[in-house]
Amino acid sequence: MSRAARIRALGLIAFVVLWEAVAQLGLVSPILLAPPSEVVAALMTDGGVFLEGLALTVAEIGLAVALAWSLGIGFGLLAGSSGRSAEIIGPLLASLFAVPVIILYPLFIAWVGMGPGSKVLFGVISGFFPIALNTLSGLRQVDPDYATMSRAMGANGVQVFLKVYLLMALPAIISGLRIGTALVVIGVVVTEMLASLGGVGFLISYHRTLFDTGHVYLGITLALLVVLAVNWGLSRLERRFGGWRELQQAAG
Amino acid sequence: MSAGFIEVKGVSKTFTGHLAPVEALDRVSFSVAEGQFVSLVGPSGCGKSTLLQILAGLMESSHGEAHIAGECVSGPMPEKVGMVFQEALLLPWKTAAVNIGFPLELRGVPKPARRERAHALLSLVGMCDVADRYPHELSVGMRQRIAIARGLVHDPSVVLMDEPFAVLDEQTRVRMGQELLAIWQETRKTILFITHSLSEAIYLSDTVLVMGPRPGRILDVLETGLPRPRTPEMIGSEVFGRLRNRIWQLIGEAQP
Repeated sequence: MSRAARIRALGLIAFVVLWEAVAQLGLVSPILLAPPSEVVAALMTDGGVFLEGLALTVAEIGLAVALAWSLGIGFGLLAGSSGRSAEIIGPLLASLFAVPVIILYPLFIAWVGMGPGSKVLFGVISGFFPIALNTLSGLRQVDPDYATMSRAMGANGVQVFLKVYLLMALPAIISGLRIGTALVVIGVVVTEMLASLGGVGFLISYHRTLFDTGHVYLGITLALLVVLAVNWGLSRLERRFGGWRELQQAAG
Repeated sequence: MSAGFIEVKGVSKTFTGHLAPVEALDRVSFSVAEGQFVSLVGPSGCGKSTLLQILAGLMESSHGEAHIAGECVSGPMPEKVGMVFQEALLLPWKTAAVNIGFPLELRGVPKPARRERAHALLSLVGMCDVADRYPHELSVGMRQRIAIARGLVHDPSVVLMDEPFAVLDEQTRVRMGQELLAIWQETRKTILFITHSLSEAIYLSDTVLVMGPRPGRILDVLETGLPRPRTPEMIGSEVFGRLRNRIWQLIGEAQP
């Protein structure tokens, strides 16, 4: 473990200890703050239900991420492959991205029901716009001189697209995936909390109405774990494929 | 030496502009013998780069035609014509050696063969020690050497260079000129070199083609007649000065 990681781990332990102490000393009402011990107790009594909820949430996020990525990248590449279509579609995507998708959620429930379908739909639509937008603008930002160079070196149209434009745009596409994926995760959990039949968000909402603070904190902890896992995956992706841009910027 | 290795016959180019058509080149004709080092000078915007793009097969002429090594140019011919641009245009995610092999990669040449060829060229441009470095780790001059090596990777008979040293500082520029001459002497390519520096054109070339302002046309063809190998002291010589004045005069007279 690196020094920084050790300090982070120690900080986390100190935080949990402090949290427990504050609750045990009765400094804060137990309805507002459940100590870690109560979170563990909640896990013991209702662990099965929560794991089922977690599995559903993870499945919804997985499906929504897969769809948002493929639709977003696919559409972005298509729209960004010509200057004319990018000019027409770019501003349209940007203004649609600004629409708070949540106002459409009642419609989604009417269309596909209270179940996982409406969560996936909401997640896909939240994630689609930043991914498509970044893919499109990533392609348009490529210096056309690179295309000229490649053609002079004998590249055909497909090679220019795959070996130059796509790879040049990759860092922008990946930062789109970062934003888009975060929005998918937020979208799925939030819509579960608003109106749903299951999932971590549903459990948080449900137990809050019963004042089961320990259960609420357990739900929050699980949601945080999901976010951490997703973030870890995205960082790895960024390091694997987007590294050269950072290095280049560092070199000026 | 056969005459007319590069043959340009009555090439004109008109761009369809937003308001009115822009005439970039007006019946440009010249020929370059095999193995010659020829520079093309002229005021900025005179269509030098347009002419080079037409020769490289990247752009079609409106009238006239260009022949390279007996073949009419109708598209890029990477095996015959190497190209070096003002910017190095190296792909940032590829190392120096892999960048040099890029044109071979486009042709489906297997990796070991590409690597071998890249190393041969790295030693030609004196950059063996940076084979596995990435472009952002190299200086501007080093990147341009890699770009020159990439332009030579197919062992083309003609190399077209579009102001390759324009972004370099003066000292690097003179040194790169020296190195380019050494490479030229060793490989015997036919080089067509665009520059806006008159001294650079005279110093490097056998022949200087002088172009006038838009629409670009050839004003005169000057044989430098300077002995080889060239040395930096020649830049101060009387012959050099006379050539320089002559080009200035030509361009000055042509100004509208």
